[in-house]
Amino acid sequence: MTSRPAAAAARPAAGSVRDGFVGSLALVPSVFVYGTVFGGLAVQKGMTAAQVLGMTVLVFAGASQFVAVPMLAAGAPAVAIVVTTYVVNMRHYLMAATLAPAFRGYPRRWLALIAHLINDESFAVAVARSRPPDARVYLGSAAAISGAFVAGVAVGVALGGLVERPERYGLDFAFPAVFLALVAVQLRHRADWLVAIGAAALAVALALVLPGNWHIVVAGLVVSLLAASLLPVDDADEGEEERA
Amino acid sequence: MRSDVWLVIAGMAVATYLTRAPMLLALARRPLPPRARLWLRLVPLAVLPALAVPLVLVRDGRLALGWTNPALWGAVVVFVLAARRVNLLLSVSIAVGVVALLRALA
Repeated sequence: MTSRPAAAAARPAAGSVRDGFVGSLALVPSVFVYGTVFGGLAVQKGMTAAQVLGMTVLVFAGASQFVAVPMLAAGAPAVAIVVTTYVVNMRHYLMAATLAPAFRGYPRRWLALIAHLINDESFAVAVARSRPPDARVYLGSAAAISGAFVAGVAVGVALGGLVERPERYGLDFAFPAVFLALVAVQLRHRADWLVAIGAAALAVALALVLPGNWHIVVAGLVVSLLAASLLPVDDADEGEEERA
Repeated sequence: MRSDVWLVIAGMAVATYLTRAPMLLALARRPLPPRARLWLRLVPLAVLPALAVPLVLVRDGRLALGWTNPALWGAVVVFVLAARRVNLLLSVSIAVGVVALLRALA
């Protein structure tokens, strides 16, 4: 962003893995505690420790795991659980598309592995720092978030949920808080505000009528596509698009 | 517990990987046209509020716009602090504290 020198100065051209790791620390306590809640809940519902940790490592998508465990315990058909998981996680398509330019030149087998680590929190941290996002910042954040989540689940499996109601301490609010903070630092042009407010309003309206996470996918896709087709292309700050 | 747990986990893992890998693998290779780059620049501005704002304003399937919604105050606090370039960890910690306090008082 060249028109705001102050913002540019606070944002080094090339990020490091450490930047991403440190930039994610605001989320580590909440991710860890929700990991313990998930681990404790899943064991209580009758899953073995191996199954809980296996799901956490192989699926690695907290929201869909919280949805799947009660379905598993209630005897829902396997296909229904898998389809629900897919729908809850469809927002990853948008995040993966946004992250992709950061990984130009990476070997495909690395990309195949890195793809598995895509998560809401690291996406938010990486895109708030630079656009296109920096691969190393993203990887540092993914290390912090995945480490905190897997460690939290392991502790929850062994000891049960550490905090019975994380909401009492506002820990659930850390997630929207981080997402809002990371939107706030990105709003520069009037069009940015319109996109953000439009997506928020549409998402709230859809969340009232649609199940699961459909509102995120639909609002995110509709509003970004609409804005991208209406705005003049030179609004896409070309300076930002250059890679360090 | 039922016998097909590992099968379900495998299915969930494949379904989730299919939401992550294809776009990353397809779009990391080629330079994109300007309008596609504009779209990718706008995606976070649409996705992040779409993730966050319903978590603040929708409770149990209903709109919670009242002053008694602690998360609404927390959202105002974190947004203002972050817009003033206060450190992320500090902004979020203060907002979490505000929400916890308001919930304790309620």
